[in-house]
Formats: sequence, C-alpha cells, structure tokens
Amino acid sequence: MKILAPIRELDELEMLAQAGAEELYCGYVPRAWVERYQGAVWLNRRSTRGSSVETLENMRALADAAHARALPVFVTLNAPYYTAEQTALVLDLAERLSGECGVDAFIVTDINLIVRLSELKLAAATHVSSVAASLNVEAVRFLLNFDVSRVILPRSLTLAEIESIKRGVGGDCEIEVFLLNDGCAFEEGFCATTHHHSVGAFCTSLSGMRTDFEWAGGYFSSRRQAWLRRNLEDYREWVWYLNGNGCGSTAKGLPYGPCALCAVPDLARIGVDSLKIVGREASPFKKLASVKMAADIVHRVRHGVPKPVAIDRAISLRGEPEHCHAGYMCYYQVDRDC
Amino acid sequence: MEVSLQVRDAAECRATLAEAFAWERSAKLRPYLDSIAPRLTHLPVSRIASGTEFCEHLIPHSIRAIRDACDKPFTLLTPYVGDRGLEKLRCLFAELRDGDEVVFNDWGVLNLLRREFPGLVPVQGRLMTKSLRDPRVMGIYGDSSTPAGASANATLRVLQGSNLDNAAYTAMLGNIGVALAEIDGLPQGNALESALALAAYLPFGFVATARVCQAAGLGYAKTEKFQPASPCRHECQTFLAEHTYTNSPFENRDQVFWLKGNTYFFTHPAHLIDSLLEAARAGRIHRLNIQPRVPMLEVS
Repeated sequence: MKILAPIRELDELEMLAQAGAEELYCGYVPRAWVERYQGAVWLNRRSTRGSSVETLENMRALADAAHARALPVFVTLNAPYYTAEQTALVLDLAERLSGECGVDAFIVTDINLIVRLSELKLAAATHVSSVAASLNVEAVRFLLNFDVSRVILPRSLTLAEIESIKRGVGGDCEIEVFLLNDGCAFEEGFCATTHHHSVGAFCTSLSGMRTDFEWAGGYFSSRRQAWLRRNLEDYREWVWYLNGNGCGSTAKGLPYGPCALCAVPDLARIGVDSLKIVGREASPFKKLASVKMAADIVHRVRHGVPKPVAIDRAISLRGEPEHCHAGYMCYYQVDRDC
Repeated sequence: MEVSLQVRDAAECRATLAEAFAWERSAKLRPYLDSIAPRLTHLPVSRIASGTEFCEHLIPHSIRAIRDACDKPFTLLTPYVGDRGLEKLRCLFAELRDGDEVVFNDWGVLNLLRREFPGLVPVQGRLMTKSLRDPRVMGIYGDSSTPAGASANATLRVLQGSNLDNAAYTAMLGNIGVALAEIDGLPQGNALESALALAAYLPFGFVATARVCQAAGLGYAKTEKFQPASPCRHECQTFLAEHTYTNSPFENRDQVFWLKGNTYFFTHPAHLIDSLLEAARAGRIHRLNIQPRVPMLEVS
C-alpha cells in the first residue's frame, strides 16, 4: 500500500520524498492548450495556470529525479471528455510524455482516451481516474478490457463496497482510494459543472443561493419547514467540511479537510494498493504536512499497530478532535471495534 | 421522430402528452410546465420509459406490471450503482423482453447486459454523454454578444460537443451493440453531429447527482447524515427545493436549480425546447424523451 502524493514542480520533490511519498502525480498543460482553449475548458480538472508542469523539459527533469529515488510519476489526463480535436492533441501529448519524459502512467477518465491509449501500446500505463465513476466490480471488469493497470475508486464508496470490488477483481488490477484533502459533494463523474474561478464550485455556490422548499403533499407546517431548513444547514456544514473546512487550517497550520487516516488499517486489510493525497494545486507546505500525516499512520499500520491505536493516533494528528467527531470530515465510516 | 414518455405506473402507459403534462403537482413548476406544454402536447407518444437514471434507492422491485401494460416499445432507465444496486438491476432485466431497451448510466450495467442479457438493447444514458451543463456560466459561452462568447470559437466547439464527437468512441459503442445515445439540451447549444442516433431529454436537464443524498439526511441524526449509499425512506418524494442563483457574478441571478433527492436539475427555456424540436423534425435527433415531472420518480 503506497502513499501517492501530488506534486507541481521539481522543487517539491526532495521534501515529499523525505516525508514519505512513494508515488507522485502531477498535471501537465502545454502552452498550445492554454492558447487554444479558454475559460472552463481544462485539460486536467485544474485551472490551466499554476497547477501543472508547463514544459516537457521540466516534466523530463521531474521524472528523471523521481526515478532516481525509485518514485514513479503519473500524469493526469483526466478531463471528463475530450472532443476529436482535443483527443488528437492529448494523444500526441501522451506519446511525448511517455516516450520523451518517461512518465510511468496516465490518469484518465475519458473512456475514448482509455481505448485509444490501449491501442497505442505506450510504455506508460493507464490508471482510470475516480471521475470515471467505477462504482462496482462489473465496471472495473469492463475497464479491464482496455489494458488498464489501476482503477481509482470514487470517494463515494464505503469500505464494504471497496472490499467487495477488491475481492472481485483480485490481482487483475491495482486499486487506489482517497486518503486526504478535498471532497466532492456530488459523484465526481456525474457533476457536469465547472470549478472555473468566475463561478466557483457548484456545491459551494449553492450555499449562497436563496432556497425555497415546497412540500409534496398535505399541509406544509412551520415545523416541517424548520426541519427542512435545519437539514439544509447541516448539508451546508457538510459541504464546508468537504471544502477543506472552508479552506482552513489548524492553529498549527496543518491542513484540514476530508480524511481517511482512521481507515488505513481497514484499507490495508482489504489490500488496497495506493492511497491518494489530493491537491496538485496546493501549497508546498500543505502537501508536505499531508504526506507526513499519511506516512505516520501508514508506517504504524505496516508495523502492526492495533487498529484502535492507529485511530487514536490519527485523531491526535489532525489536531482538533471536535472536527473528527463531527462525522462530516471522514471519507469512510470506520467501525473502531472490528 | 420517436417520442418517449416516462411513466411511473401501469395506468400511465396509455396517456397522451396532454394528459401527462398535468401529472406534475408542484405549484412552483406548474407555471413553467403550463407555458411549455403547448409546444409538445401535439406529439404522439410512440415509446414508454420507466425506472430511474439517478438513484439506486429508487430502483423498483419489479417492472413487470408496467411492462405488461405497455403496448408500445419499452425502455428501462437505470442509474449508476454499487454492487448491491447491480443485483437489483439483474432481477429487473430478467423481467424484460428481448428487444426492450435498457438505458445504462454505468459501465458495470453495460457489462452485465452484454454478458447475461444479450437480447436487451443497451442505450448510452445521458450521464455517460459527457458535456458541461452548468447553467451558471455556460449560457454566456453560447451568447456571441458577450466578450467570452465572441472570442472563443475553439472553446465553444468543445463546450457544445461531447465524448460522442469521437468516431473511435462511437465505433467502439457500435461494436458492442449501442446504437443510440442520450443527451441533454445544453445552455450553450448542442453540436449534434454523431455517428450514433441521439435521444434528447426535455424539459429537465441534469446538473449534478450524488450518492450522498441531501433529502435522505432528513432521516438521520446530524452526525450520521450524508453518508454515501445510506438507506433511505425515499424522502426525495416529500419535497422539492428551489435554489435561485442570487449570488451570481453575472446577470443571471434569476437562474433556478431544482433539487429533488440526490440530483439537481435545470429547466429548459422555451428557445432550447424549440431548437431540440427543430433538430428532431430535421432528423438530427432521433427521439425526444419527454419527462413531464422532475425525473426522480418512485415507480409503483
């Protein structure tokens, strides 16, 4: 079970490797893309500026340095879809990233691109992005037709569902799940909105909209209205947690946000292959703090620390247990006693 | 042009569109539905659809009564599912007849259909037809009077397109028996060139859907709410939420989003319905999927 860390540039490599990163992933956006497409048309689900590596030279340097430390590098080509014109650009990009830069895998959502990459037989492997919404074992089996080596499961799966899928696919492909930072209120692959800065994420935008309710039958009492309002406020609080606790940090400066540290013992037992830390665009400090927290728990679990002890340690690491106990900051519900 | 009507029980299978447009009881939606109904009610219904596209908790225990009452070609709508939902669908598929359509919104559902139910006809659902459908901002790209719209031809082509734009992809679907794909009318306009036949939903477009359901939270204590795939009592059937985009940075502060259960929808403005109708008459859209109620129906 590896720790997969986000990286944006070579300068971040040393600190991430020393902190315990065992795999790396990043975005790459060439100038040609930025010049051709505006606004909401993103190559890899992050703004085209400031979140990704920007030249092949820098990508090659990053991959070489990572490989010298035995760390594989994966590149996100994970837009929900590419049109025919874009697909030609992305396939050319993939050939160069694989052949000239030596990246180890592409993280891909678009089934068309997955199929086309399987035909190209590049050295780089294909990992299926969580945005592809592989929610059941049959979906993973379908994707295995296209030479994929890893499937990243969506955040919306429970531990029991992850276990069912892992058991169902056995050793036919690796399974990766989310470990830290940022959630999605919607099923990532079925949210057809943009996070473009002009409007922000739809889920957080909703919290600022005027909301009216209509009861479907019978008298809409003030008690029922209050019940719906209270539920809406709870939902907005949940979205606040998903959004990194309002993009906040603890008094010690540690990052907040959705977390599966308590679930590491279960994920290890299930046989999950990789644990993803979200945040290519995050500050180097947030990346470093996240990898350190992940490594602390993963190393303890590898050394056989009992599950309740690992959970207590995880809560202690997060620094503010009231958030852990709120029930809204966990990717997965964990049963402490089994 | 084929016209499909979504029903929720056997009695509705023989309804006309004029009758069907009276089904939605929401006082908030009635003015809108009454305003657009005259554009559609003259169309003859030629196909019946039932089921759910958005929620595995709304998968019916049986579809037999509707299937038996239906004297037209039949389409079963299916949602994205976990392994348990897939088992429920397997039972429903066994009740269908060879030649019936199944709309899949999950690769696992397609895989199951191909392997175990080769007599059923798979149709790519609208959740699998990837396009941005964000009415907060997409309409601006389609409006050539705005700076963003005027200077962004390449961008607009992408936003009006979808994964169906790729010949290799549609050929792959064709090879596994998928000849029809479903789409939403888009605020920024639709590119309708595709090797597959197209079916367009109206008048509700989907914006976002989730395995975590806001409505289901009503049945839980605060710390237990909003857990993925949690059981529910179909609280989605009890209320409708209307979100108005009052915090828009643009001029569309009257844009409305409708939440029913786990899914947000937008309603098609009249001009979008007219353009879909025109495309259907011209043969560029093969089928219109009419859903005269918010499509989060509990099938009985």
